[in-house]
Amino acid sequence: MRPWKTRAAYPLLLPTWLVLGIFFLAPLGLMLAFSFAARGTYGGIEPVGDLGRYLRSGAFLANYVRSLGWIYLKIGWRSLWMAALTTVLCLTVSFPAAYYLAILAPRRWKGLLLGLVVVPFWTSFLIRTYAWMFILRTEGLLNLVLVGSGLLHRPLELLYTQTAVMIGLVYGELPFMILPLYASLEKLDRSLLEAAADLGAGRSQSFWRVTVPLSLPGIAAGIVLVFIPSLGQFVVSDLLGGARGMLLGNLIQNQFAVARNQPFGSALAFELMAAVLILLLAYAAYVKRRGGEELL
Amino acid sequence: MKRFFLIACAAAALASCRDTQERAGPAKAASRSVNVYIWTNYLPQEVVADFERRTGIDVNVDTYDSNEAVLAKLQSGVADYDVVVPSDYMVKVLVPQGLLQPLDHARLPHFENLDPRFLNQAFDRGNAHSVPYLWGTTGIGYDKEKVKEPIDSWRALFDERYAGRILMLDDVREAFGAALKLMGRSINEKDPAALRKAAAMLTAQKRLVRTYNSSDFANLLAAGDVDVAQGWNGEMAEVVANAPGRLAFIVPKEGGTLWIDNLAIPKGARNLDAAYAFIDYVLEAATAAKIVNAVHYAAGNQAAWPLIDEKIRRDAAIYPPQEVLDRCELIEDLGETLRLMDELWTEVKAQ
Amino acid sequence: MSGRHRRLLAAHTAIVYLFLYAPIAILVAFSFNAARQTAFWEGFTLDWYRRLLGNALLFRAVRNSLLVAGITTAAAVVLGTPAALALARHEFRGKRATQALLYLPVIIPEVVLGAALVTFFGAVELRLSLWTVVVAHVVFSVSYVAIVVRARLSGLDPSLEEAARDLGAGPFETFRRVTLPLAAPGILASALLVFTLSIDDYVITSFVAGVGATTLPLHIYSMLKVGVTPEVNAVSTLLLAGTVVLIVLAQRLMQDPAATGGSR
Repeated sequence: MRPWKTRAAYPLLLPTWLVLGIFFLAPLGLMLAFSFAARGTYGGIEPVGDLGRYLRSGAFLANYVRSLGWIYLKIGWRSLWMAALTTVLCLTVSFPAAYYLAILAPRRWKGLLLGLVVVPFWTSFLIRTYAWMFILRTEGLLNLVLVGSGLLHRPLELLYTQTAVMIGLVYGELPFMILPLYASLEKLDRSLLEAAADLGAGRSQSFWRVTVPLSLPGIAAGIVLVFIPSLGQFVVSDLLGGARGMLLGNLIQNQFAVARNQPFGSALAFELMAAVLILLLAYAAYVKRRGGEELL
Repeated sequence: MKRFFLIACAAAALASCRDTQERAGPAKAASRSVNVYIWTNYLPQEVVADFERRTGIDVNVDTYDSNEAVLAKLQSGVADYDVVVPSDYMVKVLVPQGLLQPLDHARLPHFENLDPRFLNQAFDRGNAHSVPYLWGTTGIGYDKEKVKEPIDSWRALFDERYAGRILMLDDVREAFGAALKLMGRSINEKDPAALRKAAAMLTAQKRLVRTYNSSDFANLLAAGDVDVAQGWNGEMAEVVANAPGRLAFIVPKEGGTLWIDNLAIPKGARNLDAAYAFIDYVLEAATAAKIVNAVHYAAGNQAAWPLIDEKIRRDAAIYPPQEVLDRCELIEDLGETLRLMDELWTEVKAQ
Repeated sequence: MSGRHRRLLAAHTAIVYLFLYAPIAILVAFSFNAARQTAFWEGFTLDWYRRLLGNALLFRAVRNSLLVAGITTAAAVVLGTPAALALARHEFRGKRATQALLYLPVIIPEVVLGAALVTFFGAVELRLSLWTVVVAHVVFSVSYVAIVVRARLSGLDPSLEEAARDLGAGPFETFRRVTLPLAAPGILASALLVFTLSIDDYVITSFVAGVGATTLPLHIYSMLKVGVTPEVNAVSTLLLAGTVVLIVLAQRLMQDPAATGGSR
């Protein structure tokens, strides 16, 4: 289609550029600048006396250097493996369900079943996390059932453990994996599966060599939609984690709200952002290689 | 489609109208609302409602559970509070940073209700910037049925036998306080080596701790999620009173923290008249008594004494005997050392 | 696919649904439980809901949430739709940069965005209030609108717009009478998405909310911090009911021929 005059695009975009420029890019830039500053005695930014000397001495990198300390690397590592585990669990649990929904479910139920997946997707994340607080606490439902029925003598201490955080994460992110998988599997051309069967492919073969490769866009999208929010997770680890399982998101919030070390918090925030961007660039490269133009 | 847009625009227009009204004109609005930033579980809704009814001033209450959170908010310069309730040492931190206004005692006619024992403290001579609100101690609450022997020392919070059943306050000064007291030091220790040792103790303790919590500690003890919990006396006293045979609260023999929370007005508060009105209202004997009866913390208000519940007046946890008070210390500001302590605390929490 | 495998998959799917809904169902069920501290059923009661009705703070939080979500949605749609149009229909310098710019707010972890915004507001001494919350919400909402509407526009048959142009319609008229009605389902869907995201947002809002700007998630969070009580269950149930109503409404709206058809 003949594109419109190119100049017409600018007035359409100007308001958005302004809003995002002022309230998105500027704050990020400011935070980047602060990440090179030092913390004042009681918090906040300590004014830099001699800028030249501050830069030359390398002191401006102090926060980044500190973030490479063993303690913080451990938190980064914990965030990484928990996000990865969540993604893997979501994927293995969701794929069969999405497959059933997309390919095997009777047509008259499909709409309803799909709608039922969407409802948790729209429901507040906070509420869905609270549900597990309610279930897992010492006087919660799970322990009530286990102890009351005599299966256990002492209640299980599930709340405020890393297990609880994992459960909360998987539960929260599950709809975000099911939906892209479903969307991708739905578009699957059944005739290809039939052709594979006709050519003598066994069930397992046609699954791994036809179904999975064709649904890779959905798998990739699901992985991105689950892994990245899990990496920057704050709510689940705060409510369900207790003393254990402090994740990057909690550490950053803590630096801003309680420890009042905005410079250090800013450095951590930027590192998290960098990690996310790298992952996404990898995803974008993958999409490009498969010939897709747009990310979503 | 059109309908949706029209409705959305109308809603937006309507919404912006109402909000502007509420912030109309500095002088007028100054007396129509007051923004209060206070500890959780520290201000009964009934007291707020009474104030609103009596004066017609709208009260907005936000809560926090650590002094450091108050500092963070006031430092940001963009929080909009008219009344804050920092503890003793935090007042000493806020004043030199110019974050609190000097108080005009002439505007607080009920100032005379206050107990002289709590006035003119080192952290705020002459009560230039704050007036006492409630005071209390920090100690250990425990479940007598789960913990076989009576507890009398901070050692209990570091005891292997209660692994996974311990709760600590999510508070840097209180956590370090417990460790330092156990080491036989003052809670206001400035020696970096001692602080590092305390941090090491806290780090080693971490795997015994179920959770760090400053707002729900009493309920968690009562609900059986933990057996031994560090906590502030008022909320502890309340759950102990509800389960007298089962729960107990003590101030350890090494001594603990004695703290005084104070009402103060941040610099740049926009609703000055309302702030003074609110503070003076709280200083009234009847109000103070209502607060004490509801939150179970002791007030620095002697006029309120006769109006306080008999049960509470007699409760040794809430109004401890002199010998308990004698072994407690007030938290003091550490100045430069604070930076080290904050860093060490971050590292403890991050493990 | 053999019958046995089919049944296994069906069973697995059923279990997944159970897993998704059981906690929610439990939450709702126990909002009617008379017991305060334990999950032991002590009788049916509407007490907790009654208490909510008397809770002025809760109502204020709901009002704030609805206000913020409404304004945010309107602003995001007004900003994002033209942006989507520009990206879908025009070629220009800086197009790729603009696309990247629009994707960033969605990609960046919420803690990072919240921290950056509160730093910014502090630096420019902009007092925290409900308006700072709106600004923060608009920042990530514009992106969602632009992305969703752009996808919709890209999927449209260009011949309709070309026909309009050939018949002499200028760009604005073409937009108003052909493009906009056709893009309407996308705009509506993005509006619904953004509205819901705004109502549910906790992390970003917690950084930038001012006094008296407590939104519903903030209020619920502080309830959670002070303890697990059935009142929280009650609030959650009501919020859930509201969400379901919203979804059903949206379904109806989107199936409404007047909303999707357009004048042709």
